[in-house]
Amino acid sequence: MKRAIPSLLALAALAAGCANLPRSRDLANPDVSGKTLAEQVCSNCHGVTGTATSPNVPNLAGQLDPYLVKQLKEFKSHSRSDPVGFEYMWGISRKLTEKQIGELAAYFAAQQPRPQSPEGRSEQIAAGRTIFTGGVPDRQIPPCSSCHGAQGLGNGVFPRLAGQHADYVAKQLGVFQRSTERPEGSVMNTVAHNLTRENIGNVAAYVQTLPEGGSR
Amino acid sequence: MQSMPRSAVVRSIVRTVVLAGAFLCTALPSAPAHALPTFARQTGQNCVACHAGGQYPELTPYGRLFKLTGYTIGERTLPFAAMAVVSDSHVANTSKSDDPRADFQKNDALIFATASGFVAGKVTDNIGAFLQVTYDNYATQSDDGKFHGHTSADNMDIRYADRLISPTNDLIFGVTANNNPSVADPWNSAAAWMQYVPVPSPTSSSFIDGNTPYPGIAAGGNIAGLAAYAYWNQLLYVELGGYRTASGIASFMSAGVPKDEKTRLQGTNPYWRVTLSREWGAHNIMVGTSGMISDVYDDPLDTSDPRSVHHFRDIGIDSQYQYLLDPHAVTVQLAYMRDSHRYPYFLADQPVTDIDGNPLPNTNTRDKTNVFRAKGSYIYQAKYGASMAFFNQTGTTNSALYDPTRVYGNISGNPAIRGWTSEIFYTPVQYLRIGLQYTMYDRYNGAARNYDGAGRNAGDNNSLFLYLWGAY
Repeated sequence: MKRAIPSLLALAALAAGCANLPRSRDLANPDVSGKTLAEQVCSNCHGVTGTATSPNVPNLAGQLDPYLVKQLKEFKSHSRSDPVGFEYMWGISRKLTEKQIGELAAYFAAQQPRPQSPEGRSEQIAAGRTIFTGGVPDRQIPPCSSCHGAQGLGNGVFPRLAGQHADYVAKQLGVFQRSTERPEGSVMNTVAHNLTRENIGNVAAYVQTLPEGGSR
Repeated sequence: MQSMPRSAVVRSIVRTVVLAGAFLCTALPSAPAHALPTFARQTGQNCVACHAGGQYPELTPYGRLFKLTGYTIGERTLPFAAMAVVSDSHVANTSKSDDPRADFQKNDALIFATASGFVAGKVTDNIGAFLQVTYDNYATQSDDGKFHGHTSADNMDIRYADRLISPTNDLIFGVTANNNPSVADPWNSAAAWMQYVPVPSPTSSSFIDGNTPYPGIAAGGNIAGLAAYAYWNQLLYVELGGYRTASGIASFMSAGVPKDEKTRLQGTNPYWRVTLSREWGAHNIMVGTSGMISDVYDDPLDTSDPRSVHHFRDIGIDSQYQYLLDPHAVTVQLAYMRDSHRYPYFLADQPVTDIDGNPLPNTNTRDKTNVFRAKGSYIYQAKYGASMAFFNQTGTTNSALYDPTRVYGNISGNPAIRGWTSEIFYTPVQYLRIGLQYTMYDRYNGAARNYDGAGRNAGDNNSLFLYLWGAY
């Protein structure tokens, strides 16, 4: 024991200087590239090609670059404080540099979205399509497509919704509706305010099936 | 001494709950949401990222990857953490005993049971460690009845890991130096991890769930091993290792363990683990096998005779299913271990007599023991949880187990123990859990009734266990 502790400490001190930049999982080393972090860390939940297995976690493949940059900055500044934000992303993003954020966004934006099998029921998807394309006029809910695009492919900081996990979309609509935990998306607070729980389930089920006609 | 009247039991439980509540109210009025032990400080993430429903130590798919990549995700930070357990045990019947004070020490008393210190976290991009040292507040008792605390090495895992990942291939591989076969395992149906609430030492806790049979590796902890492992495409996990006595540079892995209690192994003893796993949607499942062949010296203080070893062969199968979709966390675990035990020559085929001097069959040269456990749990919002477990130990009858001692004896010589444990728990903040377990026996030490030959029945050992478990 007496011999082992100094030996281990010496070994640790020696090893502490070692970095393995091409395969590092160090979230506080500015020299680690965004691509490496995406592969070694982000992939654990979001998938190495940006398609997440768990519906708790959003797909990032093909997500718009400006939106991803904005979200990482919102997590880092703790401005975005919904549960999945502070539970998972505050820590991951706390030491990311501007450069790394840019590289991470570029990495996932460049990934090809994978075709998904529908997560919702067909009647939900049909009802969701009506809301997505036409809104709910008598409750002043505008069509989602007016900002997110006819196929939900997004536009600038309006995120891609196409192929997103229905459960994730539904939970985020709930966040917009009931809280100010995502101030960057405050416009959605107004939009989502009058959606019923059923509306949310339907529209989430529909966007998960987009784009119509397959992957884009 | 008679067993406590019902009203006294109720008073005791109420007192304990009130005390626990008072502790919660005074200690946690301004608990921050992310004040965490060392791994959480390292990643900045909440406990639920790595622990299913926040119920440490059970890991989520992400938690498994964090562990297998050598605890290296995040940034180096102060690598210290601590945990402590306050508990209260209540045994159903304390009257069928010659000495209830000794047989049920600290029954119905709220005690500071145990505490652990950790040095854990990222060392380099490839090296990380999890080192646990545990203080047992009731480790020994002197003749005057006073308890004395003792600290010793607990779970230890130091590893080197690397990961080759591309869109088509994902290979995590590494080497672990650890002191407990299966402690390096990422699944919680593994021998080292399925039993999770620390067990207090006073005899009143002898019948709580943590002391019921769990599928385990006979050579146990506080030994020193080196294992290589690989996890391919999050589908196939293979770990192969060898264990020896913790000595020389590895002696810290059994630090604090008294010499006469230390596990001394003969040579290098092989351990293996293979699992297949798959994740789809919110579901993930694993089926696996593990095993170890070990030769353990009968007397840790005398290893001069190479024939004085117990030869164990443990082979287990286990499975774990999880459904994790906020706010729900469901886990089902199944584990089975078959242990074959060959005794050293001086313990095998020995004559035994019963309490009246009548001869019993000679002791066995070899025993077989089977332990099965199934457990299901549900947690809502990572706060409110419940679980139910079934355990069943069976095995060969052996006169060596014959023991006419009251309460803890066994007159059948059969090791059978069977029962159920139900539990409810509450996690008010992520680093504190309060739980209530009730364990019921329908078989104990080989019999449902009169297992000790003095009228004690399995059901007399039914136990209530309240614990307050904090980590920081």
